Amino acid sequence: MYVEFLGVPRQRAGISQLEVQAETLGQLLRTLASEIPPLSEFMAVDRLHSSFIANLNGDRFISDPATPLVKDDHVLILSADAGG
Amino acid sequence: MPFGYHGCYLRIDVSNGTSEYVPLSETVLRQYLGGSGLGVKLLLDEGAAVMDPLAPEVPLVFAFSPLVGSPLTTSAKFAVVSKSPLTGRINDSLASSGFAIAGKACGCDAIVLVGRVAELSVLVIDEAGVRMESAAEYRGATCRATETGLKARLGANYRVASIGPAGEHLVRYATISHDGRHAGRGGSGAVLGAKNVKAIALRGSHRAEWANPGELTTISKSLSKRSFGPATAKYRELGTATNLLTFNRFGALPTRNFQSGTFDEAASLSPEQLSTTRSKTRESCVSCTIGCEHIYSLGSGGVRVEYESLFALGSLCGVSDPEAVLRASQRCDELGLDTISTGGTIAFAMECVERGWLDEPWLVFGSGDALLRAIDLIGSRQGIGNLLAEGSRRAAEVIGHNSIEFAPQVKGLEIPGYEPRALQTMALGFAVGARGADHNRSGAYEVDFSDKVDRRHVTLDAVRHAIDTEDKAALMDSMIICKFLRGVFEDFHAEAAEMLRSVTGWDVSAEELRETAKRIVSAKRQFNLLAGWTPAEDTLPERFLSMPLPNDPEASLSRQRLDSLVAEYHRQRGW
Repeated sequence: MYVEFLGVPRQRAGISQLEVQAETLGQLLRTLASEIPPLSEFMAVDRLHSSFIANLNGDRFISDPATPLVKDDHVLILSADAGG
Repeated sequence: MPFGYHGCYLRIDVSNGTSEYVPLSETVLRQYLGGSGLGVKLLLDEGAAVMDPLAPEVPLVFAFSPLVGSPLTTSAKFAVVSKSPLTGRINDSLASSGFAIAGKACGCDAIVLVGRVAELSVLVIDEAGVRMESAAEYRGATCRATETGLKARLGANYRVASIGPAGEHLVRYATISHDGRHAGRGGSGAVLGAKNVKAIALRGSHRAEWANPGELTTISKSLSKRSFGPATAKYRELGTATNLLTFNRFGALPTRNFQSGTFDEAASLSPEQLSTTRSKTRESCVSCTIGCEHIYSLGSGGVRVEYESLFALGSLCGVSDPEAVLRASQRCDELGLDTISTGGTIAFAMECVERGWLDEPWLVFGSGDALLRAIDLIGSRQGIGNLLAEGSRRAAEVIGHNSIEFAPQVKGLEIPGYEPRALQTMALGFAVGARGADHNRSGAYEVDFSDKVDRRHVTLDAVRHAIDTEDKAALMDSMIICKFLRGVFEDFHAEAAEMLRSVTGWDVSAEELRETAKRIVSAKRQFNLLAGWTPAEDTLPERFLSMPLPNDPEASLSRQRLDSLVAEYHRQRGW
């Protein structure tokens, strides 16, 4: 699946997207923290810090680490504080 | 008198410079705290709701808070509260920095201005008392020039809030500026301009004692430490402007007067792109450890870049040239114009020109030159600027053709950069907002960007979340503490109670503060009821309720659904 970063996560990751294999959101986040260490500040084990959020395919926002993911999913990682 | 307060407000009749300190009871202070809450309470007591917002007798309140002057990060803030000349409803605009500390150091918890001085004047409050001085030499001066000039005249340790040319010309969305920041929305600058007051210069030495300084220091250190963490990374590292690409990605970036939720050229205006071609510095308000202000180079100077300015003067007007958008933002700051209402009103006019309903052929979407020209005309009320200075709702009434259906406003206040069809909890927040469409008094967008709702198909379950964000905002705006800190709190109400206990000595609880927030929201509604509010005002323009977003058919909001959300909101409020 593709993971796309927006805002601060993109800046920290240094890339806009990458391809990752994972079966759940928690597994995906653990993989990201391992492969892109600057992102680990925004994660606690298999969850994002409350100021960040994941979105599945541009539709629904997800936070449960057990959320299943499939091969063609597109996961976005962004700041949860949308205001300004 | 409780700790943290002076227990009085300073009421000044600028007609003749007379003033008096009016006592504030501990009960009132505990019930309304400060900032927005205290401001609304004072306006209600003054009977402002039934007055013409630009009449001499109408009061204009600068309200401070118990936390101002404390070591708590982001607490140097003040609220400007009045009846809005743009909406005819309650208006509370907040701004930051040294003016708040200086105002409280004048020995009061609020300053209330009434009257109208004969000549353009500066109101000076210092150790010598209250006096009016001539501001003739600052007629037509920008906010920055006025502030700089007055500091040179009076002394560098005065703190100055001023209006620009737009306030002098009573543009209905003129701001009050201090130190490059603005009490921006709703036209408080026009209210001050109508009093013929160009600026207020403050210097004081009074200090409100704290109930428990040791505990306050501990709380302050903890809060400051957390303010350097992940919860504020967005504001520190990219600023609010980072919303631009995020909102565009979700089809929620208002474009060409809300005709689309995506802007093909959004990347050219993004902070990520701007920082590749321009130098950038960061600044902080006094007493703030976040440092959210990102200043980009422009010509020989710099301009503060915020999301709302980028959206309103960029995508909403179809302008993708970053030089034009940054210059437009800078020009609004100089003239003292609210960038959201400026961009919203110009974008509305551009669509009217496109439809052949306004004979200003130069005023077209995408033209940076047209944008800049329109801003200058608005600031001086010349040509078409005289109509646009009235805001999009009044302009629509003059233009006709039922253009009110796409005038981008609620209660007359132009809509901020959140496409309501793509963010439907925010749509509710806009519809019911006491001061009109507003993202600072309702943080409902946070709900849309969460797993609590389906943002394009919200149900009645979203209503309680929208109410929670509105109540929280009312509390933060009254204590006052910056909303950019909101992510650092595990339990905001509990921590807010700790802060207030350490400053005031009150045995205040989280539950009491929840009730306080509801009281303040209700006070705003009471003001609006007295001012003539009707339920029909709690809605959105027809455009949002009759057509989905072109590129996202799922982003569709029917009148029936919005009406049911609003009705449920009123029911849960007990109104």
